[in-house]
Amino acid sequence: MGLLTKDIERAPCTVEISHCFESLHAHVRFNNGAVIYPGDEVKVEGPEIMAPFGEIVTEDREAVIVRASKLEQIWTRMTGDFEVMELCEFSFSEEVTL
Amino acid sequence: MNVQSKHTADATTAEESFAIQEEQAKFDSKAATDLAMQNTLLTPRFYTTDFDELDAINVDGIREEWDQLIDQMVADPNKGHFKKNEDWDHVDWENMDPELKKEFIDFLISSCTAEFSGCVLYKEMKRRGNNKDITQLFQLMARDEARHAGFINDALREAGVAVNLGFLTQKKKYTYFRPKFIYYATYLSEKIGYARYITIFRHLEAHPEHRFHPIFKWFHEWCNDEFSHGEAFALLMKTDPKLTSGKNVYWIKFFLTAVFATMYVRDHQRPAFHKALGVDPDWYAHEVFTKTSELTKQIFPITLDIDHPRWQSTLERLQRANVEIADAKAEGGIGGKLKEWAGSAKAALCFASLYTIPVKKHEVPAVTRLVPSY
Repeated sequence: MGLLTKDIERAPCTVEISHCFESLHAHVRFNNGAVIYPGDEVKVEGPEIMAPFGEIVTEDREAVIVRASKLEQIWTRMTGDFEVMELCEFSFSEEVTL
Repeated sequence: MNVQSKHTADATTAEESFAIQEEQAKFDSKAATDLAMQNTLLTPRFYTTDFDELDAINVDGIREEWDQLIDQMVADPNKGHFKKNEDWDHVDWENMDPELKKEFIDFLISSCTAEFSGCVLYKEMKRRGNNKDITQLFQLMARDEARHAGFINDALREAGVAVNLGFLTQKKKYTYFRPKFIYYATYLSEKIGYARYITIFRHLEAHPEHRFHPIFKWFHEWCNDEFSHGEAFALLMKTDPKLTSGKNVYWIKFFLTAVFATMYVRDHQRPAFHKALGVDPDWYAHEVFTKTSELTKQIFPITLDIDHPRWQSTLERLQRANVEIADAKAEGGIGGKLKEWAGSAKAALCFASLYTIPVKKHEVPAVTRLVPSY
């Protein structure tokens, strides 16, 4: 990892999307043990994965991981905390007036 | 467009149920490309944290309380709760007041996103951790959040809103939170979530004529999940007394102030929604703050003085500043920018004014665990 340069990696991954009444979730698992660090960007390749209602769709895909530069990683670690309020669940929207 | 699709819960035979499901599957995949159906892409955020610090948590010191909570979550008393039954009465979306409908759908979408983001965060913590106690807890919490999201999603489908989970194929950046900030923010968010749901539930019990949608009938059991998640975070904080003492008390005060103020401002953005519920948002805020303060005494050594003369008036000024900022943004141009800065400065001063109200101090009890009692 360079101070200012970004590395690009490819990682096989499994995507699971559940669009069920019992559970609405979507997860990506990297199958080569790749680990995500602060500031990294991840994009699952290929067309949008849609699960029809009532179904769980699992697909093997490839993900592109754009590694943050060392500087960006430090920056994300320092500033990420400011966004922590978004974890609060008050069912709000960004709009001030709807 | 509103589509009143039949739900499988309405089916009288298994065949009918399958037929409805098949119809819905067609409908949903069609809906994905059908612009007439309101299509809402969920956009949860993705987080990393210090996973080594999470792994280092040792719950042995509070083993008894911890195991009780985990056993209760494993037993999953709410497993059968999130099903539609005969209590799910017909919702007249067609004739709902358009303002109310807009605000209520916004409420459902943002609730669904919040549950969904919780699920993503908890699942990530489960997957990256190596400490069995911790990963088990996060797995259980992810389960509950996904279940809540599924339930809200179903209510949205009835309203003709298709939730799109295609966000994974979009580029997403991972941000970073320190574990302790996750504890403070999610602990408060779960406890205030409980207080919010139970206050509405009790209000509608007394005034059923205001219950304009059946989902409110489910709030009682729902908020018990929020309650136990909050209990889990309280115990996590208890494993390390430093988290709730010394300098960190200032962080606790910061989070309490920020969470209360944000809730106040956001709720005032939905006047039609609160009017339909027959709830005065100022009364509601005070009620929720009172309950949340009472609950957080289990682990926080301070509570905010919400009856201080400066409290309510400053919240009102903060709300007005927030509206000014939004209006200025809409106006645009240099004039708009200047007004936006002026509004932001006002909001910052309001926050500082709230933050500097002296706190109430109290002893933290030796036994942390509480049971839902409101």
